[in-house]
Amino acid sequence: MITLTDFLLVGALLFCTGMYMIVSKRNSIQVLIGIELMLNAAILNLVAFGKYDKLNNGGQVFALFAIVLAAATTAVALAIVLNVYRRYKTIDPDEIKNLRD
Amino acid sequence: MGTALLHTDQTIISYTIAAVALPLAASIINFCLPVKSKAAGWISTLAILVGCVLSAIVFARVWNQQPLHTQKLWFTIGNTKVFAGILLNNLSALLLLLVSLIALPVHIYSTAYMKHDDRYSRYFTYLSFFCFSMLALVVADSMVLFYAFWELVGFSSYLLIGFWFTKDKAVQANKKAFIMNRIGDIGLLSAIIIIFAQFHTFDIDALFGQHGLVKFMGPDNGQWAFAPDRMPSNYGSVWTRGAMTTLPAIWQYIACAGIFLAVAAKSAQFPLHTWLPDAMEGPTSVSALIHAATMVAAGVFLLGRVYPLFTDTELTVLAVIGCFTAFMAATIALTQNDLKRVLAYSTISQLGYMILAMGVGAYGSSLFHLATHAFFKCLLFLVAGVVIHEMQHIKEENNLDIDPQNIQYMGGLRKKLPLTFIVAIVGSLALIGIPLTSGYLSKDGILIQAFEWSEGRSAWLKLIPAGALFTSWLTAFYVSRLIVKIFFGEFRLLKHHPDIKLHISDGGWQYRVPLILLAVCSLFPLFSLNPFFYEKAWLFESLKPAEFMARENIYHTIIPIGVNILSVFVMYAAYAIYVKRNTFSFPQTGFFYRLSYNQWYLDKIYKKVIVKPILGLGKTCFWFDRNIINGLIHSIERLSRAVADLTAWCDKYIVDGFLHSMAALVQSIGNFARKFQNGKVQYYLYSMLLIVLVLFILKILI
Repeated sequence: MITLTDFLLVGALLFCTGMYMIVSKRNSIQVLIGIELMLNAAILNLVAFGKYDKLNNGGQVFALFAIVLAAATTAVALAIVLNVYRRYKTIDPDEIKNLRD
Repeated sequence: MGTALLHTDQTIISYTIAAVALPLAASIINFCLPVKSKAAGWISTLAILVGCVLSAIVFARVWNQQPLHTQKLWFTIGNTKVFAGILLNNLSALLLLLVSLIALPVHIYSTAYMKHDDRYSRYFTYLSFFCFSMLALVVADSMVLFYAFWELVGFSSYLLIGFWFTKDKAVQANKKAFIMNRIGDIGLLSAIIIIFAQFHTFDIDALFGQHGLVKFMGPDNGQWAFAPDRMPSNYGSVWTRGAMTTLPAIWQYIACAGIFLAVAAKSAQFPLHTWLPDAMEGPTSVSALIHAATMVAAGVFLLGRVYPLFTDTELTVLAVIGCFTAFMAATIALTQNDLKRVLAYSTISQLGYMILAMGVGAYGSSLFHLATHAFFKCLLFLVAGVVIHEMQHIKEENNLDIDPQNIQYMGGLRKKLPLTFIVAIVGSLALIGIPLTSGYLSKDGILIQAFEWSEGRSAWLKLIPAGALFTSWLTAFYVSRLIVKIFFGEFRLLKHHPDIKLHISDGGWQYRVPLILLAVCSLFPLFSLNPFFYEKAWLFESLKPAEFMARENIYHTIIPIGVNILSVFVMYAAYAIYVKRNTFSFPQTGFFYRLSYNQWYLDKIYKKVIVKPILGLGKTCFWFDRNIINGLIHSIERLSRAVADLTAWCDKYIVDGFLHSMAALVQSIGNFARKFQNGKVQYYLYSMLLIVLVLFILKILI
């Protein structure tokens, strides 16, 4: 029997993997992938907790909604990455320091 | 006063003002001219010529008439009104004419004498300025105004003595003259102040005039009050005793002493006479005008103005001082070798006669002698000027190293300078007082009146006329010595330098005309038609006191005869001694010779007793200032500098250190915080993660 804890463990594993990718990768695309992993970990948790919903399939629906949103943000983020590349000729986040004071 | 003036009086007043103001105008014009401008001389001469004519008109109108007095309000202090104006009486009219009459030939003479000077127009600026001051002095009617011009006269004399200011001796001489005169000025100023405190007016006419206040006051019971014996009966109702507060009698003595000090300084009387011989460092024409004829007469003039102030005792003191000065100066003149110095001492001696005459009550004779002396002494100085000029000429032409004023080098000049010789003889005879000259008239007047005065007085006071008599023989001797040494015998310079060239002459008309003019004025006809009796002189008759004794006693006959016979004898003796040297010569080592040659050691005594202590005091004060006051100030300075240094250190290291360390702290915190803002997105995430973790850990632990 697969328990809630297993789901949460997988979710946590996914989240940590995504987090690691975000802070360590030298490529913005990979960072994006990390973000997606973290989102999916959250979605997995939503689905797992959906078992306790008072409303039927509330968690599933919310998960779907989140997936759509994630797709949208990915699209936007990719567009940003593309623009960044055009401008700086690189997508290494370490090289882009214009956020500095 | 002003309203009562007639039309003619007003004309006279304006003539007087013009005569006084013209030299001032000339002086201002000359001051604006370039220093070498030759026009200066003629501007000044023209001014004095016109002034002379105007003065003569004024004199003719005022002489023996009612005194003219006009005044305007000058300024007001509190309730005191000070007036300024013109007072013309016999005395001031005489001096006005005399000064301009003497100044005229001197101006003409100066145009030639100063021809080669680099500061020709400056000379005439000063000379005209002097004439202005002197003329204004004689007509001023207020003591304040009088004092102002008295100072100006002294000042212009100072300028002219030091005219050749590159010579150290001239600078010393003008300094000496100025300081000596300042001593006298202090006396005059205090006398004016005391007189004002007593009488509440500066007006000379109101004080010393015909109905003047001073006449009726004298020391009485320890108060300077209305003396009953001096007060006429009809004045008792007007000037009552209670009308004025009176000062103690001592102030009257101090005022008289002050006046005497002023007279002694200006007219070179003992003990303030030593400046006059030194003043001969100025140009000779200046000596002739200022230090022989006019300025030195200012003291006698002052005495004449304030004559009623003096009591009988004070007049006796004056007589004693005058007599002593006359005698002392005459003895000094016997041995001096500097031509101008002899004449200077003779001036002092003659001024002593005038003061003596004032002292013995011979007011008229004193002023008469002043007038005659002015002419013949000016003449003698101008002669001296010619001689010195020619000697200077010889010196420069032959490159000799001699003093052109030393009479030892001269002699036999009568052949080279015939005109100068003749006028010099006239001047000398007048100075000695030989009949037919003006000097005879005035000097014998003084002698006779001195003898009359001493009649019935104590034996000691009989010494005064005797001293005056003896002095007149001394005068005869030194004047003869001077003339003989210059004009008779051999030209002594030729003995030492046999090959020198002598291109000398009497000089141009600018030299000749003044000499002739003054020589004529030194003879009797100008003053009296009768050459033997001084009482007949018009000048004397107008100035003599009312109670004058007529020719009734033996003195009037015996003195002129005695004096003149002995004088002639003395003159011959001098001639014999100095021309025929082999017969007799004076030992030059005796005490009396040294006393006379060193001018009674007065200069040395003054130097030792007054100048040295004052200089010592100055040096002590300087030392005190340098070492003690400056030391104190310097130590205060060091102390405050140390305090300031301490404060600066505190400021720098404590106050500033605190602020700087605060700033450094804030900066390091900022720099630390900056490190987190490096622009790397991932780094921000790290930080966030770290903080969240820390928070969690803290939450769990606490």
